[in-house]
Amino acid sequence: MNVLHGLGGTMAKLYEDTDKYGYQSDFPIVEAYNSAIKDLVRQRFAGSGKQWDEFLSDDAFHEITSADMSRIEESLLGYGYRFEPSAMSSAIERPDAYKDSGLHDPDFSFEHELAPTAPTGDDGRELRGAGDNVVTRNENVIGVARYVRTSDKVLEYLTDGVPENTVAIVDDSGGTLTAPILEKFKAVICAGGTTRSHLAILTREYGIPCFMNARLSGINEGDSVEVEAVATAKSGDDYAADRDVSGLVWRIHS
Amino acid sequence: MREIEINYAQLLETNNLIQQNADETYWLCATRTVQESKIFPVSAYILFSYLNCFYRYPALLRKIEAQMSAEEVGDRARNQGTKIIAWTLPCFYLLGREMLINWGVIKPTDAVKDVAYVLDFWKRYQLSWHRNNGNITNRQAGHRAQVMPEQRLQVFHADAFECREGNPLHKAAQAFMAATAQYGFLVSCESRLTMHNYGPYKIADNREMLVRDFRELSEFDLPWLDGVGQNIPFNNLTVTMVLEDCRITLLDDWGSFESEPEMRSEHMVAVGLYTADNLTDGHIPVGMDSKEELTETFLDLTERAKAATTELWKEMSGWTRDQQLDAGAISYFAVPKELAHIAGVYEVDDWMMIDERTERFRPLLNDEYGNLFLGELVGYITTPSQRMHDYTMMQHTGQPTRGLSYFPYSILDDGDYTESVGPMRPGANNLSVKNDRYRTSEGILTLEQFNRRCQEFVPSTCQDKFKYLCADWVKYNYDTPRADELFKLEQKHSRVLKDKGAGLRRSDIEDLRS
Repeated sequence: MNVLHGLGGTMAKLYEDTDKYGYQSDFPIVEAYNSAIKDLVRQRFAGSGKQWDEFLSDDAFHEITSADMSRIEESLLGYGYRFEPSAMSSAIERPDAYKDSGLHDPDFSFEHELAPTAPTGDDGRELRGAGDNVVTRNENVIGVARYVRTSDKVLEYLTDGVPENTVAIVDDSGGTLTAPILEKFKAVICAGGTTRSHLAILTREYGIPCFMNARLSGINEGDSVEVEAVATAKSGDDYAADRDVSGLVWRIHS
Repeated sequence: MREIEINYAQLLETNNLIQQNADETYWLCATRTVQESKIFPVSAYILFSYLNCFYRYPALLRKIEAQMSAEEVGDRARNQGTKIIAWTLPCFYLLGREMLINWGVIKPTDAVKDVAYVLDFWKRYQLSWHRNNGNITNRQAGHRAQVMPEQRLQVFHADAFECREGNPLHKAAQAFMAATAQYGFLVSCESRLTMHNYGPYKIADNREMLVRDFRELSEFDLPWLDGVGQNIPFNNLTVTMVLEDCRITLLDDWGSFESEPEMRSEHMVAVGLYTADNLTDGHIPVGMDSKEELTETFLDLTERAKAATTELWKEMSGWTRDQQLDAGAISYFAVPKELAHIAGVYEVDDWMMIDERTERFRPLLNDEYGNLFLGELVGYITTPSQRMHDYTMMQHTGQPTRGLSYFPYSILDDGDYTESVGPMRPGANNLSVKNDRYRTSEGILTLEQFNRRCQEFVPSTCQDKFKYLCADWVKYNYDTPRADELFKLEQKHSRVLKDKGAGLRRSDIEDLRS
């Protein structure tokens, strides 16, 4: 056994410590976690006094524990780091460990730097964004913008009904958050995903006009909006070639 | 069960199978999409599942093969349909290995016999599944999945009802597929594991047929469908869908497809509905006696799927994160449970639990680490274990990387390797206890009843008399009584082809339809 004497006490040298081509992961948090686990294995392997095959067959399970993993996370949080949440439950259950994603801000609006904008034209339309059209439709869709970003909002609409003419503005490209109310929307604008995302698949199946990967700015709850559903649908080839195939989103001024 | 001997030939093959899966994993992940959900911590549960696969698949696949060979399981699966085994089984498993290598918890020289066995099982299963087109994967077949024999395709072709956009059957079928797909995404925790597509199959110069499976819809293995799924009368449903003026250009090993032009509802011009499970003799028609009956059946099933969706959504949106993590991980990990059912050796403790070796790593799996580590493993290919020498040009990217680690051949010299991760260890989950109710084509059964019947049942086409009667045999023997008998097995429930025998060609089927 090769043994190093490092900061954490006696440390064994792991097989992966000699690597001509690989050094560390690209993302700092991945590297921080993975290095910490390796350190732990180095220590426990050294402490076992065994050959690797013996260590692996039994000690590795008993010596590398859930409590160790918790300590690794605690040490990162101890530096003041806060995780980016994906699931609502993560931030709700551990507000001390996750950043606030602003899900419950009643005045929320998407403000994307890349959103195309233009002043109101003679036709009363003010350009406020663009997105990737899932299916080309025969006509544009006009409706009322309503943000649907939480399960509380979905439950509210499930209980009280989805208001007519709702153009849902969402940031979850999955098919589960809006599952029980999706077919009630007049159109969907999603600030993430691609035309292959689960949400895109479902809106295609339901025949609901949908923009994915939308870049929006200045569209507020209750605004009247027009979605350019007649725009060319964005294909897999378009994504592969990095072609900008976008439909537009306007705010309508009466 | 095939005994694995670690020698040069075996390692050459194992490394080749690893590489095939590495290439396809990158392509699928790069050309499809990122899965995300506000309800489920998707990346975190995917990583959790990979670990569970690594620790448990070797023992569980050996348990299946102690009862039935991988090749026979593949034959049965082709008879009844299955979830996506092609990519999921080897890649979930190998990505678990890759995670542990990057953590230093295992070496690239560990669990050699386990890995070789899992990939060997997968290869033999896949060869059997793809028997009718001679490939291992859809990728190898040019991204096609022409797995079904002529006799079944003739029945699907003959019995499909014509429909046009706007008419009642078309509307009902479209609504059914939308509602059931949505329910499926929820059932499988924001994954598409309940859906599988096969084909395309040529129906006419301007027509192709897709076969679409919707699986695990009722009370079956997943604890979260107890009660929720009780009003869904079929656990699996298969839609046959004929497309006109729309060419399927790709059907990948995730079961997703692309078409030219982009498929729209008006392209669907004929449709059929079937069910199949471990205890059916092939596909059984559902509501297929008349166009009106099929329309009503689709409408009824649509309402049931919508009601179940609402009920399940309410339940899931109230889950704790640990419950979400467990359910998602189990959805992924347990895809090959379908093979355990075929062999009649399914156990709840085997397939619905998080192994205690996996459980240790739960505290690591916050959302951000989950997203980024998964991203590095399957998208960026940038973890240390994946970096290769500077002359390397990875398929699809040209980068000096490799998605999955090989076994070094040096282990044949120095013998410095371990064989296995060891036997199964106990597991647990944070979900409700599974009711002992399994929806089958023979009604609601207990697991003990279901396993026993699965062990006793042999589909007709898998019986000794017929199991080797392949397309090449039919080609030269179609005019024999034995061929007629083979075709009549599939035609038994057909509205149009009952007892027509083996002599018909595709054009004859089209004539019979009109």
